[in-house]
Amino acid sequence: MAREYVNMKNLRFLLHDVHQIKEVLAQPYYAEHDLESIDMMLDAVKQLSDTYLFPHYEDMDRNEPQLEGGEIKVHHSVRPYLDAMGEGGWIGAVAPMDLGGMQIPEMLGVSAAFVMAAANNGATGFNGLTTGAANLIVSFGSAEQKEKYLPKMFEGSWQGTMALTEPQAGSSLSDIQTTATPMPDGSYRIRGQKIYISAGDYTETENVVHMLLARIDGAPLGTKGISLFIVPKYREGEHGELVFNDVTPAGLYHKLGQKGTPATHLMYGEKDDCHGYLVGEPHRGLSYMFQMMNEARLLVGLGAVSIASAAYHASLQYAKERPQGRRYEDGKRDLTGPQTPIINHPDVRRMLLLQKAIVEGGLSLVMECARYADLAKAGDEETRAHYELLLDLLTPVAKTYPSEMGIVSISQGLQVLGGGGFCKDFPLENYYRDIRIYPIYEGTTGIQSQDLLGRKVVIKNGKAVKLLMAEIQKTLEAAEAYEDLRPYAEKLRAKLETVQQILMHLVPFAMQGKIERYLSDATLFMELFGLVVVAWQWLKQGVVAKQHLVSGKDDPDFMESKLHTMKFFYHYELPKTLGLAERLLDDTVLTIAEDTRELVN
Amino acid sequence: MLKILVCISHVPDTTTKIKFEADGSALDRTGVTFVINPYCEYGLSRAIGLREEGKQVSITALCVGGPEVEPTLRKALAIGADDAVRIDAPANDSAFVARQIAAYAKGKEFDLIFTGKESIDFNGSIVPGMVAELMDFAFISFATHMEMKGDNSATFHREIDGGMEVLDATFPVVVSCQKGISEWRIPNMRGIMAARKKPLAKVSPAEVREYVDPVKLTYPPARGNTQYFEPEDAQGLVGTLIDKGLI
Ligand SMILES: Cc1cc2nc3c(=O)[nH]c(=O)nc-3n(C[C@H](O)[C@H](O)[C@H](O)COP(=O)(O)OP(=O)(O)OC[C@H]3O[C@@H](n4cnc5c(N)ncnc54)[C@H](O)[C@@H]3O)c2cc1C
Repeated sequence: MAREYVNMKNLRFLLHDVHQIKEVLAQPYYAEHDLESIDMMLDAVKQLSDTYLFPHYEDMDRNEPQLEGGEIKVHHSVRPYLDAMGEGGWIGAVAPMDLGGMQIPEMLGVSAAFVMAAANNGATGFNGLTTGAANLIVSFGSAEQKEKYLPKMFEGSWQGTMALTEPQAGSSLSDIQTTATPMPDGSYRIRGQKIYISAGDYTETENVVHMLLARIDGAPLGTKGISLFIVPKYREGEHGELVFNDVTPAGLYHKLGQKGTPATHLMYGEKDDCHGYLVGEPHRGLSYMFQMMNEARLLVGLGAVSIASAAYHASLQYAKERPQGRRYEDGKRDLTGPQTPIINHPDVRRMLLLQKAIVEGGLSLVMECARYADLAKAGDEETRAHYELLLDLLTPVAKTYPSEMGIVSISQGLQVLGGGGFCKDFPLENYYRDIRIYPIYEGTTGIQSQDLLGRKVVIKNGKAVKLLMAEIQKTLEAAEAYEDLRPYAEKLRAKLETVQQILMHLVPFAMQGKIERYLSDATLFMELFGLVVVAWQWLKQGVVAKQHLVSGKDDPDFMESKLHTMKFFYHYELPKTLGLAERLLDDTVLTIAEDTRELVN
Repeated sequence: MLKILVCISHVPDTTTKIKFEADGSALDRTGVTFVINPYCEYGLSRAIGLREEGKQVSITALCVGGPEVEPTLRKALAIGADDAVRIDAPANDSAFVARQIAAYAKGKEFDLIFTGKESIDFNGSIVPGMVAELMDFAFISFATHMEMKGDNSATFHREIDGGMEVLDATFPVVVSCQKGISEWRIPNMRGIMAARKKPLAKVSPAEVREYVDPVKLTYPPARGNTQYFEPEDAQGLVGTLIDKGLI
């Protein structure tokens, strides 16, 4: 039987029924698209993924990129895949049409990226990074930069990267040391090194366009002294020809997972001939990058949920096919009868439901964020501010919940296969390794959690949280129209109160300037907040499933399964907030370093 | 200019689990995804290939069916057809469908009519031959290869039992296509967006009677239950196989 990696019906349900892409399409900005073309694009993405991605997933993992003679070679499937992506219009899909993009809604972009990353997350980094780098040029580049770089990037022949991290500057980007010296011709000479740069160099691309953070000579210390540069591997020479720009790969990291995408150590300006081109204004680099990172963080959450989706389908299929043990009937097991498929054991079923709850709940959350991004982009000033605030608040959650819980989900999925899960005969071990990076890059879980508690919940006097509560309120009201959903609305309402109670307990520490205390359990707050937000997403799905069941218009099995999984989330996952709340309200803190003694030894 | 008609059958996706209406009279369409019949898609793709080879072509995609087939035609437009025609009638009967296609195509001077070798829902393989007969066109069935020979004829390969037949035919020709004649194409975004603006005409059906009346659909008999034997019970296994007359 052909193996599945996504449930397209669920994706359409979220896109159309729960998150109502038609409301987004009604905005004039998206006039070139309609529901039919959106569906056709989704079909095309599935076909692309079936053809260029899924068949190479395992082989890419087994044959990782190699650095030989100063050159990095990647898997043979990468080039044809990127050509198909460029030809299909997918790399620049979200960009505006006047810049060669397709101006599709983020909601569709996210749906497409979900299918592709579920098919083969070792490959989708290549185009994802190019899209991200191009988006920076779209937002902040000059007309000349747009003209020079975007067409090549959108067609897939030039690779884009994000070149931020340095040995001494990982989470702490304010410590970046790469330098940029102004030259009379307006360009800069770049000197420094970057580590872990994904898709940073390989021979199967014509050029690499690094979006690089560096300090202009004499710039102020800290985040306010960092600027953004375009640093191509090959720059344009005097006569328009491409000349080597003194960017060399010094090393290749050997990783636990996502082996298809090379993570490179790059040297810039070893021969003092690395030209960089300033993007936007000097010293604004980090703020530009942060705008981009919002999108990137959403895509990281999405990537995690994609892999978890692929793992879920693999576990589900196995659980239906593997006979092992027998069920109890009338308190006894009939040892002479055939064994039962393991999906019939409550413990296995629990693991499968947990996987489904995390995958479909996490995906719904990312889709919600994409919807806010679309509404912000197409709306007037006030609408934009409204949705941007919601998006700011939810982005760290949409990055973290799928990343952290995706690991749990795949771990359980691996468990479903027993010994098979631990062996390379099945893909679960591969998914398990691949997903492990997600809580690390694009800002670790620790950093995301500090962003949530330290900034997002308090900005504008807690306005973002108020807006979120109003959004959740709409779902609560819709749920209360149905007798059997009412208890779930009540549960959620109670959890919202818990969140408020915890904030009232913690925020005074911030006001007293005890920041370390305030943020010491930020990650646990994130865990609790994530559960509550995803419970909201499940109720939202439950309401729509219920509406469909009442009207009898769609596949009842699908809708019943939705409601069942919603209930699972509320009865098995949401109660975990109780323990977290107890901890978050507890005044004994054991994790703040002391000046006089070291107790962790 | 080569005028090409590509007949498109609108069929359930190959991965669909087929269910029938309660009385067994028809397919239950709830929750079923419909696609371009894969064999018809080979024809469409070959037609687009001719354009890529530098021929002047106009490609019309045609489907007999109700409004529900329009997304399928739209997809044909997205892949590269220039215009589309929906003959507004249910497609229950091959003879009826073939007569509708012929009635539409008559007098329009098509050089090539591409069809699939069969549609994957009812697998009749009837329509293409009938269209050829009704139009009085040459007919190449089960084509696995087509290469233009000058402007007005082509060489075709047909798969036959244990071998291959090579034929030349002068246009007009009806070609029923199968795997090999081309590769399926994935529509690109530009094509999908352009498809919204390409013409899709609804045409009233010709006065043709229905020749057959679908009565009932049934499933194949269910596969038998699995019977387990312990590894050491070879005798039991052999005995059972003999009892069932299988060895
Ligand atoms: C496979 C892979 C691909 C990558 N791709 C790219 C890329 O394309 N471009 C790029 O620029 N970078 C990339 N990175 C780098 C990645 O973004 C960093 O690894 C990440 O930001 C963490 O930085 P670090 O590794 O220096 O860890 P550190 O910052 O040293 O963090 C170590 C631990 O300390 C915690 N910590 C650090 N500071 C604080 C604090 N202030 N408060 C609380 N906890 C703290 C962290 O949460 C973490 O648990 C990639 C990394 C990997 C592994």
